[in-house]
Amino acid sequence: MSDQVCARPGLPVLEASGIAKAYGATRALEEASLRILPSRVHALLGENGAGKSTLVKVLVGATTADSGSLKLDGEPVVFASVRDAFAAGIIPIYQNLSLFPHLSVRENLSAFALGSSRSLSARTALVAPEQARQWLDQVRLAVDLSAPVSSLTLGERQLLEIARGVGQRCRVLVLDEPTASLTPAETERLFGVIRHLCANGSAIVFISHKLDEVEALADDITILRDGRTVLDAGRVSSLSRQEIVRGMIGSDVERVVMDLDEPREIAVRVRGLSLEPASQVVDLDIKAGEILGFAGLVGSGALELAAAVAGARHVASGTVAVGAQIAPAGDRARALEAGIGYVPSDRVQEGLFPFLSATENVSASILGRFSTYGLVKRQKEERLVRPWLSRLKLNPFRPEKPANEFSGGNQQKLILCRGLSIDPLKLLVILEPTRGVDIGAREMIHRAIVEAAHDGVAVVLASTDLDEVLSLSHRIYSVRQGKLGPAVERGTGRDVLMGHLTGRSSP
Amino acid sequence: MSSVSAPRPSGLGRILDMVPFSFWMAILFFALFAMTVERFATTGNLFNIARIAAILGIVTCGQAIVLVLGGIEFSFASSVALSSVISVVLMPHIGVVPAFLAGMGTCLAIGLINATLIARFELPAFLVTLGTLMAGHGLAQVIAGGLPLDAPASEAFTWPARGEIAGVPVPIVAALLAVGTLHVLLAHSLIGRYWYMTGGNIEAARTSGIKVRTVLFWGYVAAAGFCAAAAVILTSRVASGHPELWPTLSFETIAACAIGGIPLAGGQGRTAQVVCGVLIIAMMQNAECLSKAMGARGTSPWLVAQAGKHGRTSGSRGSRIP
Repeated sequence: MSDQVCARPGLPVLEASGIAKAYGATRALEEASLRILPSRVHALLGENGAGKSTLVKVLVGATTADSGSLKLDGEPVVFASVRDAFAAGIIPIYQNLSLFPHLSVRENLSAFALGSSRSLSARTALVAPEQARQWLDQVRLAVDLSAPVSSLTLGERQLLEIARGVGQRCRVLVLDEPTASLTPAETERLFGVIRHLCANGSAIVFISHKLDEVEALADDITILRDGRTVLDAGRVSSLSRQEIVRGMIGSDVERVVMDLDEPREIAVRVRGLSLEPASQVVDLDIKAGEILGFAGLVGSGALELAAAVAGARHVASGTVAVGAQIAPAGDRARALEAGIGYVPSDRVQEGLFPFLSATENVSASILGRFSTYGLVKRQKEERLVRPWLSRLKLNPFRPEKPANEFSGGNQQKLILCRGLSIDPLKLLVILEPTRGVDIGAREMIHRAIVEAAHDGVAVVLASTDLDEVLSLSHRIYSVRQGKLGPAVERGTGRDVLMGHLTGRSSP
Repeated sequence: MSSVSAPRPSGLGRILDMVPFSFWMAILFFALFAMTVERFATTGNLFNIARIAAILGIVTCGQAIVLVLGGIEFSFASSVALSSVISVVLMPHIGVVPAFLAGMGTCLAIGLINATLIARFELPAFLVTLGTLMAGHGLAQVIAGGLPLDAPASEAFTWPARGEIAGVPVPIVAALLAVGTLHVLLAHSLIGRYWYMTGGNIEAARTSGIKVRTVLFWGYVAAAGFCAAAAVILTSRVASGHPELWPTLSFETIAACAIGGIPLAGGQGRTAQVVCGVLIIAMMQNAECLSKAMGARGTSPWLVAQAGKHGRTSGSRGSRIP
C-alpha cells in the first residue's frame, strides 16, 4: 500500500516483552515476549493453554497485561481497547468471523467507518465503491459489492475480513487459526494473499497447529510454553521440525505408528441409512474393536454421514442395530440407549455446556448411572468422571470449574470424555477428533481412540485430516459429494485415497 | 451452578462463594429503607413484606425454572387472574376446596398449553406465553363479566392467606416450601440438571442424548405448578375473583430474577438469587407504598392490600396488616 509507513528493516513493528497476565488464580502468561518484524510472517506456536490466545488479546488491546510492556516502532504504547490497537493498525482476524452475515459486502467493509460516523445517514458513511473494490483487489477477492455476506463461502468471508483490515491501513495482521475450516484450495488462496500483503510491508502474526503450514508460510517462529516464550523469533529456515515440536511440548515425541488390534465379531449393523429422501442408501457392518474411517475433504459430507450413524442428524431413513438393540437413525436419545457415543466436530457449539462444571460436562450422557429416585448423587458422579479426566490430563485439573474457564483444547477433552465414559460403550462416533488441537493433545486423543477400540468398542472416525484417518483406521471409506466411495484397507497410500476424494484417479 | 464437587480449602470461603451479589444488595436496600422510610422496620411491617414476598416468591420460583431453560414466561399474570375468577365463580356450587383445586387446575392447564406449544411445536416462548397472557385475561374478563366478583367469606376460604401453621402465616410457610422445592429441583434433581443443560446449550443437550422436548415440557409444567400454588393464596388474600388481579405479576417475577442475578440467556440461576431478588422487589414496593402514606388509589386490589388496607371486597374481617 502506498501510504504504508515503512519501518527500517530489523526494527520490530510491534514488540511485547515480559508480559504477564493472570485470570483469577490461573496464570495465563508468566513472561511472554514477541518481536514482530515488518514484511514477515511470524508464526506463534504453542500447545493448547500455552497462552497464545491471551498474548494475542494483549497485542490487539482486547485485554491489558498485568505487567510487561508493548512497543510500537520502538515507542512504548498502551492499548486501552481494541479501538486503540486498531487505530495503530493492528488488526485481528479471529476464528469465529466477526462479519455481519445479512449485510452486504460493501456495508461490511464500511463497518469501521459506520461505527465512528456522526452522520445520521448510513449511506454517507459507506466506503466508496472504487475504494471497496481496491481493498478487495488487495486480497484478490472478486465478489459483488451488494451481495450479502451470507452468500459467500467461508474462505471468501475470511478474505473479506482481511480486506476490511487492509482498508484500515493494517500494519500487523493477526490471524488466529485461519485455515481451520478451509478447503485445501481456499488455504492456498489465503496463503497467496498473505504473501502479497507481506510483500507490501504488513507484518503477519499467524497462529496454527498445522506445522506443515507454518513451515510453508512463516519466516519467524515464536513458541510459547506454559505462559513463557521459550523460542523468541527463531528463523524457520534454521529450525528442524524436531526442534519446533520439542519447543512446544518440552520433550520429544516420536511419531508413533499406532498398533491396532485385530477386529472381532460384527457389533454394529447400519441398514438403509439415507440422509435425504433421494440420496444414496448406505449399509455398513462395523466390528467390535474396529476403527472405521470416513475420509472426506471439507464439505464432502463425511462428517454428516458419521453424525447420522450416531443419530445426531435428521435423516430420511435407516436403522442402526447394536447387538439386539435397534435405534432408528436420527434419534440421538435412542442411539445413546443402544450404547452409541458421539463426539461432534464443533465441540463448543454442539457439545459444550459453558456454565456447567467440567465434571458435569463429562457426565452429561451418563446421568442415569448416578441418580436414584430422580436425584443426582454428586459424589458418585465425581467418582465416575474423575478417572477419565485424569486419563486425558485435564489441565488445570479443576473438575469443579465451569467449562467456559478452560482453554479450547481442554474443552475438547471434556466432550471426548463424555463419549468415552458411556457404559457400556458399543460404538463411538467421533468427528474431527483433533481439529484445533496441539500435538501433545493430538497424541493423547489418538491413544484414547485406539485404547477404546482395544477394549472392544467399534469406532467410526470421520475426519478431513487424511493423515489422521490413514494412521488410525482399519478400513477407510472415502466420501465425496455426500456419497460413500469404495472402502480401502489399512496401509493404502495417501495418494490413492486422495485420488478417491478428489475424483481424480491415481496413477 | 459454579459450585459442586471439589472440596474447598476453607468453610467460610465456600459459604461466601455461595452468597450471590444480590444478597448484599438486599441488605443495603433494607438498611436504606429502615433509615429513610417511617415504620418500615417495624415487626408488623416486616411481616407485611414477608407476605408480599411470599406470593411473588412462589411465582418467581416458576419463572426461575423457565429462565434457566432459556425461555421466558409472561402468562403468570393471566393465570392467577383466571384462576381467581374460576375459583370464585365455582365456589358457591362446589365448595371451597374443590374450587381452589379448579383454580390450580386452571393454572396448570395454561402451563400445559404453553409447554405443548413451546416443546412440541418449537414455538418461541416469548410469543407463546404472550399469547396465553392475553387470552387468559380475555377469558377471565368474559367469565367475570368485566367486574371483580366478591367471594363468599368463610374460614376455609381465608385460610390460605390469613391462616397460620404453628404460628407462622400460611403464605410464608408455602413460600418456604416453594423455595425448598426449587432448590432440590435445581441443585439436586436429575430434571434440574437437564434444565441447566438444555438452557445452557440446547444443541449440546441433543448431542448428549437428552430428550430436549420432554425436558422443556416438564420445565414449563413445573413453572405452572408454582404459579397454581400462588394463585390460591392470592385469591384468598384479595377475597375476590378479579380479572385484572395482578397484571404486572409476570414482569415482577422476571424483574426479581434479573435483580437476583439470573441472566435471561439461560443455563444459569440459583435459588439464593431468586430469594434475594424477590426480597429486594418486595422491600421496594412496600417502601414505596408506605411513603405514599396510605394514599394508594390503585384499581388493583393487590396494590391496595400492599398499602396496608384490606381489599374493598373483603368485608368485615380484621387484618393483621398495620
